[in-house]
Amino acid sequence: MATATYPPPPPYYRLYKDYSENPSSAPEPPPPIEGTYVCFGGNYTTEDVLPSLEEQGVPQLYPKDSNVDYKKELRSLNRELQLHILELADVLVERPSQYAKRIGEISSIFKNLHHLLNSLRPHQAGATLIHIMELQIQQRKQAVEDIKRRREEAQRLLKDAFVTLDGQ
Amino acid sequence: MDIISQLQEQVNSIAAITFNAFGTLQRDAPPVQLSPNYPEPPATTTATDDATAFPEQPKQLSADLVKAAKQFDALVAALPLSEGGEEAQLKRIAELQVENDTIGQELQKQLEAAEKELKQVQELFGEAADNCLNMKKPE
Repeated sequence: MATATYPPPPPYYRLYKDYSENPSSAPEPPPPIEGTYVCFGGNYTTEDVLPSLEEQGVPQLYPKDSNVDYKKELRSLNRELQLHILELADVLVERPSQYAKRIGEISSIFKNLHHLLNSLRPHQAGATLIHIMELQIQQRKQAVEDIKRRREEAQRLLKDAFVTLDGQ
Repeated sequence: MDIISQLQEQVNSIAAITFNAFGTLQRDAPPVQLSPNYPEPPATTTATDDATAFPEQPKQLSADLVKAAKQFDALVAALPLSEGGEEAQLKRIAELQVENDTIGQELQKQLEAAEKELKQVQELFGEAADNCLNMKKPE
């Protein structure tokens, strides 16, 4: 059984010999990459954006607006899907050689559905952020109340102790 | 699982039901006569089991499909899309940030005052303890 050894460490480890005494004598790490980069032969970009349907070559079946009514469009796409499945069943019975067009339409409906759902994700991220911030504000208010209460109680205890000492 | 992932899973399961349904029906269908020129297909081969269970399959499969579609509609109805759009969300986030900052500053102030008082109490306590120890000299 052949096993491969681990690759050796990169040769520039020698440059960091005096790092513990003088941290600035060793080279800085490379700056973060911006734009496109190549990783294992594939091209990746640093900007994560959802490619629009036209770029993928799929016809867009819901109206392109700035504020799409997601619920209505999802429901109507669902009905379209059901109708197309029924059509496919009919085509398979009557004219079995024409299935390819129907299947193309069904797959484009699926792609539209998934694209709509993916475009809901940024909105979900914003809603999650709002929820987390509200929780944090509530926790901070709680902490302020706790500290106030403890301070008052500590002052009360000190006053009581003072009174007790005076009364002796 | 969050609602959008559930919706995506539901879409995928609708697709799975569809292709499973068509595949099963195509695989299990009994042979059919294409044209009157060809002889009748031999009907005695496997007519026993298939003929009983076969008409039930499309009914079950279509019931599954309709159920999955209804489930999808129910999930869509459960989407919490209350905000009017992206600008409303961004405005709300900015408001929350401002409120968070003010509360954070007040918390910081209270914390500093409490720490100061704690230090004072600790010093006083140390002095009182020293006095107690000094008064009780071993004779």
